[in-house]
Amino acid sequence: MAVTDTPPETVEAAAAEASEPRPLTTGLAAVIGSGDHKVIGRMYIVASLILGALVLGLGAGVAFESTTPATLELFPSDFAYSLFTLARLGGLFLVAFPLVIGISLVVVPLQVGARSVAFPRAAAASFWGWLLGSILLLVAYGTHGGPGGTGAKAIDLWTAAMMLIVLSLLLAAISLATTVLALRTNGMTLARVPLFAWSVMVAAVMWLLTLPVLFGHLVLMYVDHRRAGSILIGGSSQIFPAMGWLLRNPQVYVVAIPVLGFIADVAINLSGSRIHSRSAARVGITLFGVLSFGAFMVFPTQKVLDSPIVVVPAILAVVPLLAVAATVADAGRRAARFNAPVAYAGVAFLVLLLGVVAGAIGSIPGVLDAPKDATTSANIFFIGVGNAVLFAAVIAALGGATWWATKVGGRPAGDAVGIVAALVLLAGAVVATIPDMVSGITGSGAELIGDYRGGVEVFNWATLGGFGIFAVGLVLAVFSLARSMSAPEEGEEDDSPADPWGGQTLEWLTASPPPLENFDGELAVVRSAEPLIDLQEEK
Amino acid sequence: MSAGAALALPPAAPPARPRVLLVGTALAAAASVMAIVGLVGVYLAQRALVLHDGAPWLPDGASLPLTPANVAMGTMLLSAVTMWWAVDSVGRNDRPGAYLALGITMVFGIAVINSVSVEMARSAIPVSTTMGLLFYTINALGIAMIIAGLAYAAVMTFRTLGGEYQGRDREGLVAASLFWYVTIAVQAVIWYAIFVTK
Repeated sequence: MAVTDTPPETVEAAAAEASEPRPLTTGLAAVIGSGDHKVIGRMYIVASLILGALVLGLGAGVAFESTTPATLELFPSDFAYSLFTLARLGGLFLVAFPLVIGISLVVVPLQVGARSVAFPRAAAASFWGWLLGSILLLVAYGTHGGPGGTGAKAIDLWTAAMMLIVLSLLLAAISLATTVLALRTNGMTLARVPLFAWSVMVAAVMWLLTLPVLFGHLVLMYVDHRRAGSILIGGSSQIFPAMGWLLRNPQVYVVAIPVLGFIADVAINLSGSRIHSRSAARVGITLFGVLSFGAFMVFPTQKVLDSPIVVVPAILAVVPLLAVAATVADAGRRAARFNAPVAYAGVAFLVLLLGVVAGAIGSIPGVLDAPKDATTSANIFFIGVGNAVLFAAVIAALGGATWWATKVGGRPAGDAVGIVAALVLLAGAVVATIPDMVSGITGSGAELIGDYRGGVEVFNWATLGGFGIFAVGLVLAVFSLARSMSAPEEGEEDDSPADPWGGQTLEWLTASPPPLENFDGELAVVRSAEPLIDLQEEK
Repeated sequence: MSAGAALALPPAAPPARPRVLLVGTALAAAASVMAIVGLVGVYLAQRALVLHDGAPWLPDGASLPLTPANVAMGTMLLSAVTMWWAVDSVGRNDRPGAYLALGITMVFGIAVINSVSVEMARSAIPVSTTMGLLFYTINALGIAMIIAGLAYAAVMTFRTLGGEYQGRDREGLVAASLFWYVTIAVQAVIWYAIFVTK
């Protein structure tokens, strides 16, 4: 026996122990202790939607604050700035990232034919770490921490909470990227990976290349604030401008990379045929991912922001969207169908296109005036750009939850309500973002300031209305999804088809909801990017 | 299409992949590199700004001797050899060799932690300076990465020798060694950017 072999008696003991049936965990313990990627994904989705309602409410409150600053103050002036930063950072870290991760955790292992997500315990730890970090972040804000805050210990808590959130998201990114890279079923080459799974892999890699820079930055902030007397960052009011690169193009695009994968997947699956131009979409998604790298913008100066390294990617980022649009158009020609997922996909694409095109225009040196206020680093125009991208990510994630509703919740989502929700979300996103962009172009003085004090008042009212409309859309979307999460009532037929769309990728092969190990029985060797079409042809 | 359709074709052979741990480790290592190299970038940018203004980068009274840093870097490079030795020993089912190689690697790693800590303590660089703030933060993160690398290597060696992997199937230890080699590369960047060019 080799020295590294396990002694036979150990094997026998382990086998005897393993053969004893273990009681199945049920109830709350099954949820809290679960390493099942579908359960973890659902928890991410539900928690981020709850936090999304909070962030959206705050966004509306801050928008209201910006409409009548002199006559009616909703929040004390020192607190308004903090809440503004919570609405902005929360939109990214408490809503968009976790919502996209939640959908990805449910769907990606199914799409690549894996029995589970890679490192399931790390995936579970990522959710609980993110949730704890989010709660601590809210506690820090509540105790006057965070950007612009006055509580020294609360600011340290804020920084630590952000570190925990970022680390947790990184864990999820490692799980997702490894699942696509190393857990694909037999025959599924990278070229055959469904486009949503591909886009999640590209996004996860970009998160792994950029979020650690933020983590290092947060460690620096923590030491700076706690030990060095804020010598580098400056006072607490400078924390948010130092993190402004996260919410500016091109970096903010990293959260929206899976939007393109979702759009392409919906179009291709509904076409019912093999779409050879899917390669164009794959290249487009990859290029969009590469162009979204913005970690070099830490401590940005106007000189850096006007340099080709920022301007060129910002302009080029429009091209990948057109590549994906070409694939979608190709697929649409084969079989045009209109349903809730198509509505969500179309709306997400339009809102993302709005953000990316506006970002390209705004990045051209000389188009926008820089704000004169030293506490901000961005023209209010870029708030509109960042919000458009975040809205696109949220809309696509809601669309994903609708498209994969039978896998996420177990039953189909309401189609008619979903269509209405998508259209209302489009109206909300447009009305909430374009006014900020217009203020940034037409303004010349204080209205250029990139926080709640900026903007032209009439446009700020429009933004407030936009947040309200988006909130209505979110409620409608949740209402349409609630049916998919609920169990059939007594006497009601369980209408949960494995494949409600006539899809071509592996997730539509398994039952709805999927079993614990995702697939009953062994999977056949995948021979193309459309394994379900292969199966139909072989019958 | 029902779930039973999954059985429509003969079952596939088990995937020849997966090397899941190795891929995950490579991604984690890349993330670690970005965290520290990002801060080194800030260090270099801040230093360039200060030097451009004609001010000294190293605070008055502070010193940053190169000899201990060179010794630490040399030790890290040697640990690459001993880590390779550990991987090779497991591949040859040489348990004593694996323990010895891992033990020496750990001693080297601890020696580097000690050396960097002493240098940080003796440098007398005030933390309340831009240079000091970045110096301590970057080196502390570098030490954290060394500790993580050592812990990972130790766990994987024991799991391998405990029978989880066997002979040539030593993915866990190969993954740990990959993380360790990346740690050495990161230390080299810190050594050159902070200690050599000061």
